[in-house]
Amino acid sequence: MFLVGCHLFYLQIIRGSAYYSLSINNSIRVLPVEAPRGRILDRNGVVLADNRHSFDITVLPQEIEDKDELFDFLAKTLRMDKKKLLQQFWQRKIAPFSPVVVAEDVTKEQAMLLEENKYRFPGVYIEESYSRTYPFHEVGAHILGYVGKINREELEQLKDYGHSPLSEIGKNGIEDFYDSYLRGQEGGQQMEINSRGRQVRLLAIRQAQAGQDITLSVDQRIQQMAYDSLAGRRGAVIIMSLETGEVLAMVSSPAYDPNVFVDSQLKNKTTALFADSQSPLLNRAIKGQFPPGSVFKLAVAAAGLATNRLDPATTYNCDGVYQLGAAKFRCLHVHGPQNLFQGIAHSCNIYFYHVGQNAGPEAIYRYARLLGMGRSTGIDIPFEEKGNLPNPLKRKWYTGDTLNMSIGQGDVLATPLQLLRMMATLGLNGREIQPYFLKAINNQELVKLSTSRQVGMIPQVYDILNNALRMVVDESSGTAHILDIPDMKVSGKTGTAQSGHGKDSHAWFVGYTVDTHPRVAICVFLEYGGSSANSVVVTQQILTQMRAADIL
Amino acid sequence: MRRDLELKIWIFTACIVLTGLVVLYSASYQNARVSVKVFYDQLYCAGIGFALMYFLSRMDYRRFYEIAYVAYGIMLLLLFLVLIKGRYALGAQRWFSIAGLTFQPSEISKLCLILALGRYFSHRRPTFKFGTKSTSRALWNHLIAPLLLTLVPILLIFKQPDLGTAILIFGIFFIMTYASGIEMKFLSGFIGLCIVAAPFMWHILRPYQRDRLLVFLNPNIDPLGAGYTIIQSKIAVGSGQLFGKGWLAGTQNQLNFLPEQHTDFIFSVVGEEWGFLGAMFLLFSYGGLIFTGLAIAQQVNDKFGTQVAVGIVGIVALQVIINMGMVMGLFPVVGITLPMISYGRTSFMVFMIMMGFLLGLSKRRTVF
Repeated sequence: MFLVGCHLFYLQIIRGSAYYSLSINNSIRVLPVEAPRGRILDRNGVVLADNRHSFDITVLPQEIEDKDELFDFLAKTLRMDKKKLLQQFWQRKIAPFSPVVVAEDVTKEQAMLLEENKYRFPGVYIEESYSRTYPFHEVGAHILGYVGKINREELEQLKDYGHSPLSEIGKNGIEDFYDSYLRGQEGGQQMEINSRGRQVRLLAIRQAQAGQDITLSVDQRIQQMAYDSLAGRRGAVIIMSLETGEVLAMVSSPAYDPNVFVDSQLKNKTTALFADSQSPLLNRAIKGQFPPGSVFKLAVAAAGLATNRLDPATTYNCDGVYQLGAAKFRCLHVHGPQNLFQGIAHSCNIYFYHVGQNAGPEAIYRYARLLGMGRSTGIDIPFEEKGNLPNPLKRKWYTGDTLNMSIGQGDVLATPLQLLRMMATLGLNGREIQPYFLKAINNQELVKLSTSRQVGMIPQVYDILNNALRMVVDESSGTAHILDIPDMKVSGKTGTAQSGHGKDSHAWFVGYTVDTHPRVAICVFLEYGGSSANSVVVTQQILTQMRAADIL
Repeated sequence: MRRDLELKIWIFTACIVLTGLVVLYSASYQNARVSVKVFYDQLYCAGIGFALMYFLSRMDYRRFYEIAYVAYGIMLLLLFLVLIKGRYALGAQRWFSIAGLTFQPSEISKLCLILALGRYFSHRRPTFKFGTKSTSRALWNHLIAPLLLTLVPILLIFKQPDLGTAILIFGIFFIMTYASGIEMKFLSGFIGLCIVAAPFMWHILRPYQRDRLLVFLNPNIDPLGAGYTIIQSKIAVGSGQLFGKGWLAGTQNQLNFLPEQHTDFIFSVVGEEWGFLGAMFLLFSYGGLIFTGLAIAQQVNDKFGTQVAVGIVGIVALQVIINMGMVMGLFPVVGITLPMISYGRTSFMVFMIMMGFLLGLSKRRTVF
């Protein structure tokens, strides 16, 4: 008896507060109330990512009266197979007191029909939620990304920011990068529950707060043109406002439909996406790393000019072959005597072997890096790669390496976005801008987000190179003469980069407009696209369409 | 003196019964699992019980001496019948249904056994040592015969199965044998034998009984299964703290986290809603009852009366300690009610009758 009293004292007085908090935890649950995610808009207010009200049908096993009758009714109103519904139910059932989702994302009409008849079938619940939709499907998929259920790692990192195990989180692109703005504040209902998990009464409520809308610098019209111009071929197109760094369009092809990741009925298609040999999930514009080919010659020329080891007027004779010891380095044509302007306009390899030799690999490395090779651009979507710029001081270096580097081959790799930035830096006379997407949050225009800095080469370098770039288009023998569009001055550089593995070359065109409003920089890349002329044609299509649509 | 003891019994019994009703109301008034009928049922039983107590207090308890063995015989018959024709519920065959009223013969067996053992021991005289023959006869008379008297109902009850009551009846046997003035060497020898035999008991336990024993040693091995009960009831008692959460306000009770909160685990409701003070009040009421009972046993002048009083006090003490201990996780979970508080008509009435006996014993000191 005394012992019983002592133990009472121990349990209730000494350990009392611990048991008290245990009993509170026992009986109070917080049910999350989903908050709609902010929308993503283009610069003209076109909705690129929206929320659709969706209705899920759940069943609470312990409240079911007649299972057979209930599932007959569900099958009839949802127009689904009863067997399949039952199978779903048994697969997902955990315990009698935890609700089982039997049908996801039913139509509003079906949900209404169920709601009207609910009183006849206890245990059926309709849960409202929001599901993400991307109305333009493949177009812009790589910019927007998609949303998905938070995984364990992400939850571990983000739980201090109010994420729960059921939260949806941006998985890629803008959805990921600006998740903290797009995400709403989950509301909650504090419920008192009994031992079977059934709700007894509402203790407190916090309203859900919708996420903030994000406006992008992207113009959906241009985006569509760029996507159409690639026509499913492998490659990427980026168009950027030259002076500000606002990205107007970024397309990677082949693309995927982000709805597949969100819509439960399409979910089975995701595995096919991961297995596809064309890698549709890869954003080639920022994550694909390719040899830049002749586009890199601009960095070589800049190195020569800036170190005073190149006189633009000096000519080197191109007879189609450059002899280095026993090895022969070839040009595509026999160009004859070439100066800098001709060398760039015709994209003569022999000329640049000489320039590269004279400037030396250290100078090429230094100035290519100044122009952004081997450095990421810091664009505001995740998973950007920074290419590869071999450092001649950090490995064994042969003259052959210098020659390969001089024409943008060998180990030199760049993303389309890097080359676009390099071209923009030249077009802006040495001002390096950072490309970006974010234009406004909740319609609140942001004050100049892009940062810029001076690259710091002598001004003559830009003058000479810009003139040469203009000649690439302007000269009738220039490699991009097709771009000689009436009333529009375009400058740029082509590139036909050997891809290795015996496949077709990569086709590049990177350039900018001179006299349009606004001025734009454009990069067209076709993976295994053959001759650079193919990219130039795509560029011409896009620019004329933009002109026709009165954008330029 | 006489009046004084009688009054104390009345007061302590009333305290306990009324506390029980208050707590039972809280456990049932808006509970889906436990109907409020339970409360009204207990209320009627309390009314009848107090009337019965009064009636018994005025009766000559020699009548019970006369019917002791008859009662024992009827008890055996009932226990036997319940095994054949009893109602099967909660995994055991413990109940009888007569004219719509169910009752539990194993509860009655406590009272009948106390009477039978009381009558048996009242004939025993101190032994005088005359060689080995008389020693073995003493052993037979003082230990083996009453043991057999006890073992028959124990086996029948164990078969139901009702481990809790079986253990209790064994406890009654111990207490009453001890009180009969048996030679200590017999008793200590017997205790030693029991301790040696205990490990073999494991094999005759049912699987769920083994589970309960294992869970008692470590409730966390199966927190949602067998350990659930003990974890939740400990939380309930502990969360009451000093003053309790208040009447009708215990979350563990009202939200059904407590299992069997109207019968075996009712003490956890006391602990949760009335706190340490309430639980101690109840404990002191039982203590008062037990000490008064012992005082009565001491002043009764015939052996039958003493034995019966000790048996009654013993069973109350045993049930209170084991039940409260079980609720707080000090003992393994066995189905033992809290006297005069737990819901259960038979159990409740049997204890009221026992209190009536105590009252009767306190009145008549000199007989024979």
